[in-house]
Amino acid sequence: MNAIILSAVWGVVMMFSGAFSKNKMWARYLAIAGAAFLLLANIADMYAQGNPFFHIDTKGMLTFNMFGLLVNAIAFATTLIYFFLSAKDIEEVGPHAGEYFALIFFVLCGVSLVTSYNNLLILFIGIEILSIPLYILTGSSKQNLKSNEAALKYFLMGAFSTGILLLGIAFLYGASKTGSFFIDDIGIGKVPPSPLFIIGLLLLLAALSFKVSAAPFHFWAPDVYDGSPTVFTSFMISVVKGAAFVAFIRLFADSFLEAQPIWQLIMALITAATLFIGNITAVFQQSVKRMLAYSSIAQVGFMLFAILGVGLKTNTAQEGIVLYIAAYSLASIGIFAILARMKDHSFEGFNGLAKQQPLLAGVNTVFFLSLAGIPLTAGFFAKYYMLSIALQTGKYFWLVIFAVFCAAISIYYYFRVIQAMYFKEGEQQEVEASPAFKGMLVAVAVIIVLLGIFPQWLINKLSIIYF
Amino acid sequence: MSATQVLFWFLSVLAIFSAIMMVASKNPIHSVLWLIIVFFAISGHYVLLNAQFLAIVNLIVYAGAIMVLFLFVIMLMNLNADTEPQKNKWLKMAGVIAGGALLLVFVAALKNADLKNQLVQTNSGEIGLINNLGLSLFHDYVVPFEVSSVLFLSAMVGAVVIAKKND
Repeated sequence: MNAIILSAVWGVVMMFSGAFSKNKMWARYLAIAGAAFLLLANIADMYAQGNPFFHIDTKGMLTFNMFGLLVNAIAFATTLIYFFLSAKDIEEVGPHAGEYFALIFFVLCGVSLVTSYNNLLILFIGIEILSIPLYILTGSSKQNLKSNEAALKYFLMGAFSTGILLLGIAFLYGASKTGSFFIDDIGIGKVPPSPLFIIGLLLLLAALSFKVSAAPFHFWAPDVYDGSPTVFTSFMISVVKGAAFVAFIRLFADSFLEAQPIWQLIMALITAATLFIGNITAVFQQSVKRMLAYSSIAQVGFMLFAILGVGLKTNTAQEGIVLYIAAYSLASIGIFAILARMKDHSFEGFNGLAKQQPLLAGVNTVFFLSLAGIPLTAGFFAKYYMLSIALQTGKYFWLVIFAVFCAAISIYYYFRVIQAMYFKEGEQQEVEASPAFKGMLVAVAVIIVLLGIFPQWLINKLSIIYF
Repeated sequence: MSATQVLFWFLSVLAIFSAIMMVASKNPIHSVLWLIIVFFAISGHYVLLNAQFLAIVNLIVYAGAIMVLFLFVIMLMNLNADTEPQKNKWLKMAGVIAGGALLLVFVAALKNADLKNQLVQTNSGEIGLINNLGLSLFHDYVVPFEVSSVLFLSAMVGAVVIAKKND
């Protein structure tokens, strides 16, 4: 509850920050302070569960469990790091810096809603709060035609998927015996599923797959991620994608667990398609930004394993997705922070970076290694958890082999960047990097390596019940 | 005949007549104006059924917002009786089939309705009152209601960011 209220309030504060001071620095400091405050409030919520700052009777619409709060904490921590690294680039997108920060805080409000919803109504509102500010941030670079195109495309496709989501919710409402939007009531229990229920489930599956950009609902993703300003792409593919996954898992673990025979094979096929399309198309890209857009689809393929494994007795699915979100968000934020400072977004742009900026090249290598899932980085254990989930379900051995094969393909395109940085000669290019920026990047790299050695630091938090 | 019945027949005749006129008139603007009368007549029916909230919302949303939009589109595109395009024969057929299908659904739904009992409850019944709606909205659904304000706020901020000039 802390996070929902405070993020909304801080969004309003950010909105007014531009009105009272012409100095853009204020907006940046306020945003950093806000993100830090949100993180602290959320941690307070974690350790004093059932006793947050605000006591609000939500009529059962929201439940706060450790899983949701932990993902909130990861999202806020990532946002805080993101502000430290990229706040300057956000200010350069356009003249409305305060508003951009405000929209980001509204997105965080949506994040904390979709990690704690207990009612499909809240899911709908949460997903909308998550998406609508993003449409705007995508189109915020108004002089750039690609950004305009991306925003329009994102908006239209997002509106369609929202319609599908609503239609699915309506079907589930009709199928539930009591006529209820609560996720505990819409499940089928032991009764055989009615056609209404199956239609509703499939529509919801399609809508949520769209929101996390899983194939075959991924067509908007590369253009949107490529077209929007680089700073906002990094926020979209890290924080927002993680939150959408939590919404996905909550729904499928709480409501649709008994209906698993209906959707599990479909989910497995979606996973395979996402892995295949994401990895194969990423190989052929010439621009690093577009390659990362496709690789984000490929990473979604791995995250989808968690949904396959929601029925497992232990919390493996939740543990895996928490670790994956943390590893993937940190690495992408870092890579995009560097990418946003570079003029040339093609692979050639990275040529010889190691000679000019050895430190940037070094941390960038760590981030790419983590994305590729090389041991000693967080990405390795994240992928390991995902594959072990698929093995524990006992049915999808072929999918595990296929995923390992796809991970091998991904190493090719991630290492192309590393190779360009270290083994190619390039012309001198200005990469503006202050000592604070470099220090923050090193800190992110250290966190990634530490998470790669001691993943249980994060995962054990899930089993804290009450303090 | 009581006043309620007089009103009912008056509103029904008005609604059906305006609906027919809406379809029949050649000038698109006249069609829109007739449609507005249909909406007003239907809102009157809602009031008779003690559903004041529905009546007002019907007026605000349909007669207010959507009709103004229609009028704007028609006026902007400068449509009038002369520019009315020749309608395709197949299009007309499709319209007849679609309308007929809807009629079929209505007939099928009402075929087994029990006509012996009272069909409607005029001036009684509580379900359509704003009182009940408010109780439900601000009691059971207060959290989604409040949270949706964040949604609207972000949409407003976005509209300003996108539409503001000077950059």
